[in-house]
Amino acid sequence: MNSLFLEIAVVLLGIVLLLVEAFSDRSNKDYLAYLGAAGLTGVLALSFLPQIGPLPMSSAAAFITSDIISVFFVRFLLIATIVTLLMIPGYRTVLVRYLPSERAGGGVGEFAILPLFVCAGLMWMVSAIDFIMIFVSLELATITLYVLVTYLRQNTASLEAGTKFLILGALSTGFIVYGISWIFGVTGTTNILALPDAISTLPESSLYALLFGIAMILVALSFKTGAFPFQFWIPDVYQGAPTPITSYLSVASKAAGFVVLIRFLLSLEALPLLANKLNAVITLLAALTLIFGNFAAIPQTNMKRLLGYSSVAHAGYLLMGVASLASLMAIPAIGFYFAGYLAMTMLAFVVLQAVSEATGGDEISRFNGLSKRSPFLAGAMLLSAASLAGIPFTAGFIGKLLIFEVALKQGHYGLVMLGCVTVAAGFYYYFKVLRAMYWQQPSEETAIPVSATTKWLILLLGAGILILGVYPEPLLAALR
Amino acid sequence: MPTLANYLIASGLLFAAGLGVVMLRRSIIVIFMGLELMLNAANLSLVAFSRYGLVSGHQNYNAQILVFFIISVAAAEVAVGLAIIVSLYRARQTTHVEDLDTLKF
Repeated sequence: MNSLFLEIAVVLLGIVLLLVEAFSDRSNKDYLAYLGAAGLTGVLALSFLPQIGPLPMSSAAAFITSDIISVFFVRFLLIATIVTLLMIPGYRTVLVRYLPSERAGGGVGEFAILPLFVCAGLMWMVSAIDFIMIFVSLELATITLYVLVTYLRQNTASLEAGTKFLILGALSTGFIVYGISWIFGVTGTTNILALPDAISTLPESSLYALLFGIAMILVALSFKTGAFPFQFWIPDVYQGAPTPITSYLSVASKAAGFVVLIRFLLSLEALPLLANKLNAVITLLAALTLIFGNFAAIPQTNMKRLLGYSSVAHAGYLLMGVASLASLMAIPAIGFYFAGYLAMTMLAFVVLQAVSEATGGDEISRFNGLSKRSPFLAGAMLLSAASLAGIPFTAGFIGKLLIFEVALKQGHYGLVMLGCVTVAAGFYYYFKVLRAMYWQQPSEETAIPVSATTKWLILLLGAGILILGVYPEPLLAALR
Repeated sequence: MPTLANYLIASGLLFAAGLGVVMLRRSIIVIFMGLELMLNAANLSLVAFSRYGLVSGHQNYNAQILVFFIISVAAAEVAVGLAIIVSLYRARQTTHVEDLDTLKF
């Protein structure tokens, strides 16, 4: 299996499903989401066949690679997309309510197909080693996400979220392209793997031009990863976007952004002077992201906004790992953190979607008395919040432990202390949800229905959190 | 004969103008024009770097290829972006950023 075939298979699957949707008369479009998920499961199985990367001297080798990071994150993205697609049937009533259509089910089907193209774009992005490839795959994912965030055309919240996402996304595109142009101008190459050679022979005078380009790219990547200084779009867009897309944004597109950031920073380590400066910058960004994400989350009353700030906070912990890239254990720690992050964040969004479907809103007060209305959903949210906060025997705890360990080994004592303080703040705001579920009285006593797909998703994601939390060795061994 | 520095100053001015428009203007359509200006500033500097940055006597065409990609991506972005702005206008009868206050900041 050549590693390019996986992405091509995903794109072909998307095109075939678009044709199926166009020629089918069925008004219930749920089958498209299931077909897409089944197809992606097939691609996921293919990814376990023995892989050969692009041949060393072939033209593809200049653009993509097949190393341990890309192999892990390609599977990670496929799983995140499968979970997102399986969330979509539960979202059908909202889609139908906010989509103007002359015939039943019109315009609903594409909502389950477009994530496939985002997935292909992000998969290329995590394998890309050339700025041209990174730029094109990033834009394939981002432009498709503009459409998905704005999908509820008659819902003003979704439209506003989409407009803000569009403007800030296009702004970050401008930054990344201008940054690429300066890095190309100084080094004469667009290839990330060729950067170390190019910058190690640079004259002192062109260092500032290079730093300018690097700063531009870091700003643009902080948009993708949801880190300081470009994190302010997150709460609004997360609140307004359709729930499955919010969960996809917070997991898949953040992961791809971090992979590009890691590859970029690793290539710049060749110049010790530069590496020290960059490390200080990343440490500062990690600290500011941690502070912003955790302390701004405390007063939130909307669950989707709360999870948005929480995703900024997790970007802060991940940046702690990125600031410690000199350690060999940093990349396994970041990969493990992402695996746990996928399970716990998506579990929270699956429960949130089921609750807001039944109660008609995303506020934390809608969770009041959930333990009486649906002990199953309340238990799932309990597990997810425990893992997000970092309670022992969950994936979130081991993930934070590994990140703190590499940060300590690299001498980031201040950052680790700040991390401990923000973890305590995290306990407080995740506890707000638990208090609503277990201590508040429900406004009505009717049970909340849970569909079979949702139940299986919750069971699998919950099992993932517990297995990773109790038995982390196999995944860590695979990442080393 | 203009030098590399001339082109870079022009592209820097274009980029700053675009960024200024994005930061200061309140109409989403005008902001979108500012964003396009920023992309074209990057195109100009890429072509200039490619033309003047001679590696062993040959021009490096990678950057010029990237320019073509940027032009086509910008076109796709405009297609999607204007569609979003039109549906926003249909729903809210406005394209001013101050009126986008449904989601609290």
